[in-house]
Amino acid sequence: MSALIVCPSCDLAHCIGAAPSKERTVCARCGGLLQRAENGNIDAAIALAVSALVLFAFSNAYPLVAIQSNGSGRATTLLGAALGLYRQGHTLLASLVFFTTIAAPFLQITSLLYLLLPLRRRREAPGQRIVFRLLTRIRPWIFVEVFMLGALVALVRLAAFARVVPGVALWSCALLMFTLTALTSRTSPGQFWRWVEDRRA
Amino acid sequence: MIALQTGKSLGLILCLECRATVRALDVRYPRCPRCHAHLHPRKPHSLALTTALLLCAAVLYIPANLLPVMYTRTVFDEEKDTIMSGVLVMLHSGSWPIAVLVFVASIVVPMLKILALVVVLFSAWRGSARYRTQRSELYRMVEFIGRWSMLDVYAISLLVALVQIRSLASVAVGWGALAFGAVVVLTMVAARTFDERLLWDPPP
Ligand SMILES: [Zn+2]
Ligand SMILES: [Zn+2]
Repeated sequence: MSALIVCPSCDLAHCIGAAPSKERTVCARCGGLLQRAENGNIDAAIALAVSALVLFAFSNAYPLVAIQSNGSGRATTLLGAALGLYRQGHTLLASLVFFTTIAAPFLQITSLLYLLLPLRRRREAPGQRIVFRLLTRIRPWIFVEVFMLGALVALVRLAAFARVVPGVALWSCALLMFTLTALTSRTSPGQFWRWVEDRRA
Repeated sequence: MIALQTGKSLGLILCLECRATVRALDVRYPRCPRCHAHLHPRKPHSLALTTALLLCAAVLYIPANLLPVMYTRTVFDEEKDTIMSGVLVMLHSGSWPIAVLVFVASIVVPMLKILALVVVLFSAWRGSARYRTQRSELYRMVEFIGRWSMLDVYAISLLVALVQIRSLASVAVGWGALAFGAVVVLTMVAARTFDERLLWDPPP
């Protein structure tokens, strides 16, 4: 048994085995990514998603950084970054920051849990196809790792004139960044539908 | 492989949402049997859309660099900062690795991104067959590095949230930051509307 797939980057047709690919393969002509590994464990993906949810909660509940200068101090949370822009009348920019650092990661984690938890018990979530397409649309807009580097830049700039105290959320945000990267690579579209089809069979 | 068979020549369509390979159906608006997304042999109006978005991004790149992104008020004075002057301030205050980081992410990357998209767009318009692999790689690099330009927008949003010390000092956002965010979003959408398979399609 074999199947034909086409390269998403150059449209070249490739003959592949029907078994799930164990590693990533690249296109013979353009070198683009053809397939990711599709033999992942659904429980591992769910565990990653749950840890991501916990880390996400921590990142939002606790202050990100605090500064102290001349006896007065001020702290901000992740939401505070977007809120500060909003209060100054920059609604568009505030929405962009809010969406890329809070809404998009949250939607990715929750929609994955919504899809994977029933699938683990051989059921399919209602509206599975719509939620899946929502998930693939949201994924490119998760900017947590860029935000972390931006936070680093802000900390260095502030350290010049105030005492900077990193908060709990800064560390959980850094862990969230790695967890989300691992989660995304383990729940590629090919992998997700492989799980669905394995359970239908 | 001797004769290169492509999805197009075999009548196969790739679903870009779920990566299913689907036999092209003879209906007007085919949908993917697996995830129900709309199927197109190539992204619709790819070149026109990418060109339009890229033009907007190139125009906004100018105010993004010229308008202040941040105002710093203290009791004594008010300072305006563009991205570039912010980089210079950091350079003089001795944190040169951060200055280089911001310079690369905010000024070099968006410019490289716009130029790279112009190159791949131009070769797709012309249907040029040379350096296809390199152009494909260039396009993939654009997708990979694009998001990092948001760096300074996040840094500014944190400064705004933190620096409000008893009316002694405060930081306000400038419109340059919005232009900057728009450049990042527009170039990302432009890269996504571009269909890289057009670089490889044989001339009609
Ligand atoms: Zn290829
Ligand atoms: Zn599909």
